Amino acid sequence: MKVMTAGNSVAATAEKTNWKAYLKRYWQLYVLLILPMIYFLVFKYIPMKYVLIAFKKYSIVQKVGEMPWADNHGFQYFIQAFHNRDFLNALRNTVGLNLLDLVIGFPIPIIFALILNELNVKWFKKTIQTIAYMPHFLSWVIIYGLAIQLFAPSNGLVNMFITKLGGETVPFLNDPGKWVGTYIFLGIWQSFGWNSIIYLAAIAGISPELYEAASVDGAGRFKKMWHITLPGIKSTIVVLLIMALGNILGSAFDRPFALQNNLVMQNAEVISTFVYKNGIKGLQFSLTTAVGLFQSVVGVFFLLFANWLSRKLGERGIW
Amino acid sequence: MKKKIVALVLACTMGLGMVGCGGSSSSSSASASTTDSSASSEEAGSSELVDGKFAETRHITVEVYDRGNDGGTDPTNNMYTEYIKKGMLEDHNVEVEFVSVPRWTETEEINNLLASGGAPDICLTYSYPTIQTYANMGGVTDLKPLMDQYGSELTNLQNWLGDTNIYWDLDDEKGTLWAIEGKRANNRRINTFIRKDWLDKLGLEEPTTKEEFYNVICAFRDNAKELLGKDADKMVPFSVSFDVGWRAALLIESEMDPKITDKEFYINGFDDRKLTQNGTKAAMKTLNKWYNEGLLWNDFALYTAGDSTEDDMMKAGYVGAFQHNWDYPFRGGDDSIQANLQRIIGDDAKYVAVDCFENSEGKHLKYVDSTAGDRKIFFPTTNTEPLASLLYLDWISAPEHIQYLQIGDEGVTHNVLEDGAIELIPATGDPIMNSGNNIDYTITCNGLHLADDKLTLLSMAHSYPACDPEDVQKALDIAATDNKIAKNVKVPEIVAENGMGEALGSKRDVVYDTALAAKEADFDKVWDSAIEDYLASGGQAIMDERTEKFEAKYGSSTSVE
Repeated sequence: MKVMTAGNSVAATAEKTNWKAYLKRYWQLYVLLILPMIYFLVFKYIPMKYVLIAFKKYSIVQKVGEMPWADNHGFQYFIQAFHNRDFLNALRNTVGLNLLDLVIGFPIPIIFALILNELNVKWFKKTIQTIAYMPHFLSWVIIYGLAIQLFAPSNGLVNMFITKLGGETVPFLNDPGKWVGTYIFLGIWQSFGWNSIIYLAAIAGISPELYEAASVDGAGRFKKMWHITLPGIKSTIVVLLIMALGNILGSAFDRPFALQNNLVMQNAEVISTFVYKNGIKGLQFSLTTAVGLFQSVVGVFFLLFANWLSRKLGERGIW
Repeated sequence: MKKKIVALVLACTMGLGMVGCGGSSSSSSASASTTDSSASSEEAGSSELVDGKFAETRHITVEVYDRGNDGGTDPTNNMYTEYIKKGMLEDHNVEVEFVSVPRWTETEEINNLLASGGAPDICLTYSYPTIQTYANMGGVTDLKPLMDQYGSELTNLQNWLGDTNIYWDLDDEKGTLWAIEGKRANNRRINTFIRKDWLDKLGLEEPTTKEEFYNVICAFRDNAKELLGKDADKMVPFSVSFDVGWRAALLIESEMDPKITDKEFYINGFDDRKLTQNGTKAAMKTLNKWYNEGLLWNDFALYTAGDSTEDDMMKAGYVGAFQHNWDYPFRGGDDSIQANLQRIIGDDAKYVAVDCFENSEGKHLKYVDSTAGDRKIFFPTTNTEPLASLLYLDWISAPEHIQYLQIGDEGVTHNVLEDGAIELIPATGDPIMNSGNNIDYTITCNGLHLADDKLTLLSMAHSYPACDPEDVQKALDIAATDNKIAKNVKVPEIVAENGMGEALGSKRDVVYDTALAAKEADFDKVWDSAIEDYLASGGQAIMDERTEKFEAKYGSSTSVE
């Protein structure tokens, strides 16, 4: 018994000194950490108390605590959202567009990184990479401006080219079906170069000895890619995939908002733009907070599920 | 990381709500103090004023639109704001500070300012539902008791607006008054404009009927090469933008039954673009046919409110005809469509107003708004200076103040012609007016209104610098032909309209746009299903409640009188 207690206290002191020693030795790093922690506390955690708005009748002149509870045990606005045709449509579009983005857009940076990795002329490789990630820095408003110049039915460059060749104009931006294609294409164009950087970094971390050994064994380019590079970045791919799945119901605001127009609204209205129009412009804060909360909760479930699945399949997951 | 942040995006969405609530603590206390102050002043009568002046300097903030026009001045600090500030300080000992709000996103901006408790003491907006929604949350000061107490002293306001505009929004049952309606000095609304030089070039007459109009725009299309040369493919015979209900209003109104009752007009009138009025479908069918015949602008839906592409096309001379505000091509001084057109194309290039959309009775009926129904002025509950704010409204309604703000200084912004008429001239530098006739500062008055009514009539055609007064006079006359003025239907608040304005408004635009651009064979199907969706999304509920409340007030009568 005595020994045990003694052992415990020894371990405890060791832990204590350890903790203190770390703090003493790396105090600069901990100080650096304070600022981001304050940021998250103030801008991400404290606002969470306003999630309550989803369950209350919002009033602009009352504090959250003073607002009366919504009907149906506070779930009035969730019920209202699920009876709202526009919300259901936005939900469908969000899932649809994000799935398409995932299925088509997810593999492209990986393929691009693999191809880039195979290039031996350094300046060429660098140039291609730079050109590819530049669109990442353009705002969606500018990209929409470019898209109109290129794809507008009567004055767009592409359509003028098509008509000069004797073809019919293609309504890239004003036909709901074609719009989805344009939306996905522009999204990929904007981000694939940037997204490939993380894979290139992962590839750079693979030991060159593996490639040398494979060469000695007589493996060609394709074999090396398949058996060394891809397995080498597998864990990176899985982590990014899990995060992408967590976002299946989430949606960025700028991209759909900048690209949508009245003719394609049936496919282009997503949850974030629905929330903007009804909440911020239409003053329905409770309804749209409920929608936002729903979106996040489902996102968390997706994330947890994907993480659980990847661990089941022997991968590391994100924690 | 990016994805994680997105997962927290809702927090940000709510952050906006947070700002609202954060500010709300102060606004609720402010509302309490408003009541206090009005209570105390009630006891004291208006003794806080000596000769119309406060003993101690008061401070108020006033909303002003920022139109962001090229070469304009700072809307919160220029020659005209100085004039107002100086006058208010001298006459009432009130310091005025202007708060600018972007014109094209005014509703969102006001929402945000209200939610953060930072709204100006005097707010204005074109959207009554916004005010009503905010009032329901307890954020708007009831003006009725204030008017009861101080109304008799606000002689300029009374003389200019009269009971019609002051009490237009009075709730008969509850007795509340959330907003005062500014007055349209000129309730002309919309005109059809056509390129006169093109008509001359093709040897065509100005159209006087719908059919002639159609023939003219067909001729524009078919002679694009002759009219535009190498730019022939840029030709738009008749331009209609994404706001179809406004930009084809005369066509839509010409298809409506001229004998429509007040009741029917009111029930369908919650949409100011006449989406569900009788006749709209027929008009849209015509427009759809024209679209499919290549007479309209293919790219119309890709540009939204505030985008200048369509105006630029008119300025560059690609557009044959369009419908818009009765004075649209003349607005903007040196930068007006007409002035640009003449600079770019030549002196004979110009738009003239024509009247060619006849209804079933052969009349060119135009549904115009009453003097009210334009800009609505309200005080948020954060306003702690209701009396000073009312005095501001009174000051800004004084005939001599309106006149100075609208025409400025002689020799700088206007000349006096031989017959006494005032002719506006383009100004440079600080005297530039950011809005036509400075209507952004004369918030109780929209449109030219000089101290002398005769002088106003004489001067109207001259109030568009760089444009031929004859062209303006023609537009004035046509816009005043066969007008039908909207009536004030006094029913209690329509609850179903709460918070629906924005959602239904954008849905309406979707209905119009998709129907316009549908294939001709699909038109009926597209229109019917879009309308069905519109009604199911809240439109029907509003119409039902409007019917019920109209009948409760006016019984079986279909007339408001």
